[in-house]
Amino acid sequence: MRKIILFVFTAIVIGACTSIDCPVQNSVYTVYGLLKANGTTDTLTVDSLSVTTLRANQTVDTLLDRITGKSTFDIPISYTQPEDTLFFTLLDTLGNSYRDTVYLKKDNYPHFESVDCQASYFHRLTDVRSTHHIIDSIVINNPTVNYEATSEHFYLYLKARY
Amino acid sequence: MKQRPNISTSISRLVISLVLLVVASSAHAQLKLFRMEKDSIPLFRGFAVSFDLVGPAMLMLSDHGEYEGALRLNLHDQWFPIVEIGIGKANRENDEVTGITYKTTAPYFRIGADLNLMKNKHAANRLYGGLRYAFTSYKVDILRNGLKDPVWLTTSDFGVEGMKCSMHWFEVVFGIDAKIFGPLHLGWNVRYKRRIHHKEGDIGETWYVPGFGVNDKDQIAANFNVIIDI
Repeated sequence: MRKIILFVFTAIVIGACTSIDCPVQNSVYTVYGLLKANGTTDTLTVDSLSVTTLRANQTVDTLLDRITGKSTFDIPISYTQPEDTLFFTLLDTLGNSYRDTVYLKKDNYPHFESVDCQASYFHRLTDVRSTHHIIDSIVINNPTVNYEATSEHFYLYLKARY
Repeated sequence: MKQRPNISTSISRLVISLVLLVVASSAHAQLKLFRMEKDSIPLFRGFAVSFDLVGPAMLMLSDHGEYEGALRLNLHDQWFPIVEIGIGKANRENDEVTGITYKTTAPYFRIGADLNLMKNKHAANRLYGGLRYAFTSYKVDILRNGLKDPVWLTTSDFGVEGMKCSMHWFEVVFGIDAKIFGPLHLGWNVRYKRRIHHKEGDIGETWYVPGFGVNDKDQIAANFNVIIDI
């Protein structure tokens, strides 16, 4: 009998605990991996890369600001636009600037976690294309975009720069 | 990356361990417990109806809760087959932090049995443990109007209406009944609920499930019952 009472008491104490299981980072990002033409990892050793986009109010927003020394990077994805337009600018040490535009098409799905967590959208990437000033090609590796940003969604092949 | 605390896993392990401890340490007593007492008291001892006060209180004090009633058979003051029926409701409108509206109202059903754990089965007061199988089928509205994209600054109306869902779960129940006067009893019980199967829409897992409570792998809840012997 004492054990049963102990069990009931323990259950009540544990039941009094509550938790809100919101994702740690309540944002949905796409991950880009830089690759060389032979499939090995590319790195922005001395060059810097910036990415901007045009907002709904026609102002420019910087998504990535002159990163260098990286092989992968994250870029946000829009909630509901059917196609995002991203402007990639690569600046080399000689002061040359190369600008490309990337267009990525996607399907958007509302995602609900809890009334206590911010609403968000998950996505399925359907197509990607770009101009080719410094970008050689860009391909979709993982079309599913959600909170699990553990693998590269895009492989980005830049032209030889050195 | 999404990270979830392992509170529910810990609770499951603790509950299972405690149940095993109780069962293992009193195996002999358990056999006695399940054996029907041989005396002059008839097998069928009547019905009892009950209704819960915690669910309506939660509905008054928060944005979700239940109205729940039960019909229980009394077999020799030892076994109590029971059917519980309720209506679960959640209505959170335009949450002040997230702006989300969540609405559902649906019935739920439980069936199971309680066992009187008292040494003297025919005493006026009872201590009991029991099991339940439970089911609900429900529709949910999840809405968030004017959701603003923080980067692109577009706005969209987010959500679904009438999303069809269902859940099956079982419950382990421990409780007491105390006779007040005449046919009136008051009692409380604590329930450990474990989700067996659930079907939900494409938008994600629902938040409140009628009869189960806030959606998770498991849940602990309590009832306070007014019981009338018939």
